[in-house]
Amino acid sequence: MANELLVKMVDIDKWYGRVHALENVNFTVRHNEVVGLVGDNGAGKSTLVKILSGYHKLDKGEMWFEGKRVNFNSPAEARQLGIETVYQEQALVPFLSIARNIFMGREKTKMLGLVDGRKMKEESMQALGRIELHLRSPDTLVESLSGGERQGVALARALHFRAKLIILDEPTVALSIKEAQKVLEFVELIRNEGISVLFITHNLYHVFPIADRFVVLAHGEKVGDVEKEGTSIEGLSKLIISR
Amino acid sequence: MRSIIYHRSFSVFIAFTAVLVLFALLCPGYYFTTWENIKIILVMVSEFCIVVLGVGLLMISGEFDLSISATLLFCSLIFLRLSQTELNLFLSTLIVLGVGLFIGLVNGVITIKGRIPSFITTLGTMMLWIGITNIFSPPGAERSIVISVPLFSTIFTGKVAGVPVQFLWFILIALILGIVLHFHKLGCWVYATGGNKEAARAMGIKTDLVKTICFMLVGLLCALSAIMQTIYAGTFFVGIGTGWNLMAIAGSVIGGASLFGGRGNMPGIVLGGLMISVIENGLTMLGISYFWAWAVYGSLILSFILFYMYLEKRLVVVGRR
Repeated sequence: MANELLVKMVDIDKWYGRVHALENVNFTVRHNEVVGLVGDNGAGKSTLVKILSGYHKLDKGEMWFEGKRVNFNSPAEARQLGIETVYQEQALVPFLSIARNIFMGREKTKMLGLVDGRKMKEESMQALGRIELHLRSPDTLVESLSGGERQGVALARALHFRAKLIILDEPTVALSIKEAQKVLEFVELIRNEGISVLFITHNLYHVFPIADRFVVLAHGEKVGDVEKEGTSIEGLSKLIISR
Repeated sequence: MRSIIYHRSFSVFIAFTAVLVLFALLCPGYYFTTWENIKIILVMVSEFCIVVLGVGLLMISGEFDLSISATLLFCSLIFLRLSQTELNLFLSTLIVLGVGLFIGLVNGVITIKGRIPSFITTLGTMMLWIGITNIFSPPGAERSIVISVPLFSTIFTGKVAGVPVQFLWFILIALILGIVLHFHKLGCWVYATGGNKEAARAMGIKTDLVKTICFMLVGLLCALSAIMQTIYAGTFFVGIGTGWNLMAIAGSVIGGASLFGGRGNMPGIVLGGLMISVIENGLTMLGISYFWAWAVYGSLILSFILFYMYLEKRLVVVGRR
């Protein structure tokens, strides 16, 4: 089972009206692998990811997760199987505490649906500890955290709920160099926990050091699928602008 | 300790206390603090604040409602009409509460399914319900309500140990909603929905449902308040809830709720509502024109908002230290 693929997407097609957003795309993620999904704006990266995370339905093709054929009707279905997507702007609620954000929608409850605040705080701190993010208190409001710390909270949340695949959509955009570095460290720690990461970006300098493999999209088609050993940042750049 | 001082509702508490002290000292013959006046205040305050509780929650969920006064008016009319039939009063009450829920549901569904800002939706429904009420309003002679069941009057307008029962209703509802908002998962969802709808939805929270529940809560509380006011006045009167749309929003904002949703808390909303209605009574006691009340509300809203902005800046500094 070990060499079985975590994600296998076969001949995926997607149209938005008359726009052919994805054309015959084959895409895989192995267990415990960091895949960099790169490409220029409008290349189809987000479309592919939204299909994988249940936001959009595919028009043609097959999707497999852990060896089972899947067809998600909602993000909740994808999440149930262990696919967590972390969007920078959409991930957290600024006026809520860290603990409440981590357990948002999945609150720990006692009787009658009353929340178990203490348990949520304890487990939040544990979850943050797993990616070595040490924040003062689980009661801190997310709005007072830095961009990198917010990404960390979202990742800790995914980790805590036993995600098998974490999808990061442009996690380093709009972050300072130092903060972006922090996020890359988080990804490293997540991989060490045996979880696969799909890292979407158009910044090759961020994704190159941490990814094992790169998938390049251009105009809705896959134009490259290369292991890190076989390529370089220059090589990937050429692929991205090849069409 | 510091977190208490910087808490929004703490500043409202201070301001509210100051207002009470001021009125107590300024009123001629100290009439403001007589038990007679306090009883009147408790009734007035409760009728208004019961509605504010719902409005505050709705604002935290990121929406607001301009159709409160219209809902009160319409529910009052329905209650009048039902009380003129042979129908059991308790059953009539249930129907009126149902009408309130329905009005909230309509607001919610139009806002959510139509993707219309609730400002516009409730502007429309406000005019709709006021219009319908006016069309079907009976002539003056048929507007009085006689409650033939003493128990019924006691439940909604009676006294328990000398305290108007309306106030007990208000406290009870405030407690329940406070627990729901701060200690129940539904409360977490309300904050999440108002604070970042996309994030909440991505985490599987049914944000549409949460908002609809909040709209329906406002409708329900309006219906309850309408019943209380109609029985208390002994008549259906078209002035019911006049000005409450904006006063309720003012109360919530003073209490720390934001027009953009996601913030606010129950103690603040309660105090904000109390402040608005106590000022109304206090100014009347002082013999100052009702119009002054609005000038005072305006000044209060502005000063509190500016103060909250200031607090916010301080908080960020404190949070990062």
